[in-house]
Order: sequence, then C-alpha cells, then structure tokens
Amino acid sequence: MLQALTGKELEYLVDSISNEDLLIKQNAVMAESATNMQLRQLGQQMIQTHRQHVQMLLQSISQHQQLAPLQPQQ
Amino acid sequence: MYQQSYQPHQQGQAQHQPILTDEDLAYTVLADLKRVVNEYATAATESSCQQVRSLFTNLLNSTLQMQGQLFKTMEQNNMYSTSSPALRQEIDKQLKQNQQTAQKTDQFLQQLSLGGRMQQPYQQAQAPYMNQQQNNPYSPNSQYQQQSGQSGQHHHGPNPYYM
Repeated sequence: MLQALTGKELEYLVDSISNEDLLIKQNAVMAESATNMQLRQLGQQMIQTHRQHVQMLLQSISQHQQLAPLQPQQ
Repeated sequence: MYQQSYQPHQQGQAQHQPILTDEDLAYTVLADLKRVVNEYATAATESSCQQVRSLFTNLLNSTLQMQGQLFKTMEQNNMYSTSSPALRQEIDKQLKQNQQTAQKTDQFLQQLSLGGRMQQPYQQAQAPYMNQQQNNPYSPNSQYQQQSGQSGQHHHGPNPYYM
C-alpha cells in the first residue's frame, strides 16, 4: 500500500543515498589501497551491496513520484 | 598491534606508499557503517508509509550485517581491541539485581492482572546462557510475534539483500 512520501521521508531517502554513495567511495579506497587481502575483498563485496542499496533507494523515490501532489497541501 | 599490517608494504608489495594504514582504512568504513545503521533505524521509526519503513528496515539489517562482517575481519587481524572482559562478580551482581527488577515488574503486572503466563526464562537461562546467544532469554515473546505476524519477521522473512 503505497502512500505519498512525506517531506521527512524524502529527506531520509536522499540523505541515505548520500551515505551509501560515500560508503561506496570509502570502500573503493579500501579495496584499492589496503595491503590486507581480506580487507580488499571485503571492500569489493561491500561496494556491490552499497550499489544495490542506492538502486533500492532510487527505486523507492521513483515509485512515489506519481503519488506526489503538485500543489502544497494543508 | 600494527605488525601484521605494516610489514607487507615495507616488503614492496604495494605499488605506492599508502597514506592511511589498513587499520585507518577499515576503521573509517566501520565508523561510517555504524553511523548509517543509526540513521536507518531513525529513518524507519519516522516513516509513515509502510513500504518506506520496510525499505529502511531491510537496509538497516543489510548494513548491520556488513558492519558485523567488517568488525570480525578487523578483529581477526588484530585491528580492533575490544574492551576487557567483565568480571564474574560483576556479572553475578548485575544478573541478580536485574532478575529482581524483572520480578518486581512481574508482580506489578500481576497486581493489574496483566501478568499473563510467562515461563520466567531468566531463571532457566542461568546455566546454558553462553550456548544460547541466539536465544535471547528476553525474547520469549516469539509466540506473540508469530500471532501478530508483523514484528520480528524481518529476521526470517524473504529478504533478498540479506546474504
């Protein structure tokens, strides 16, 4: 049952995308420059999971696109 | 503590001199995972759309799992020192005090006829406590959870992101 997104929900979704984006980049640095192989591999794995997260968050925003009112509501 | 991770690049394995040590790299990611776990929990509690709430709940679980995995890896590589073990006497003391608290609350509930039937798991749990990490003695409400069907399901439910 989809409801229109509240302003707050939208902000959390958007903030979460920034968080996931930052984590992708941090993991990329770890996967590239760590000397420990376990850390490098884990970094690579986590990049993929964070990319999925970004897609899920984007998908959720787009699913709510049509429900959003065009005028401010009371 | 630093031995394991410092040796390799002195032996010329890395193409360039890294600015951050392995510990620093891993810790940076770990700290952010922890922050994001908190944010997803807050986001879930503040969502009114059920679909958005369950999205945040799934992301929370997935992020927690990554945090746990990274922590384990760091621990295995001696990059993380956990705090020293709690003393036996402190555990005994805390257990006793809190069992009493729980009993008083039970009595309080019984006075209000809200006690219901609970199998007092905190008494049985004393001996096998260590072997039952999964079975938190304080979540015997699984009967109720199964009935209501909603809460607690994300642990077992079909969650594709939960590797």
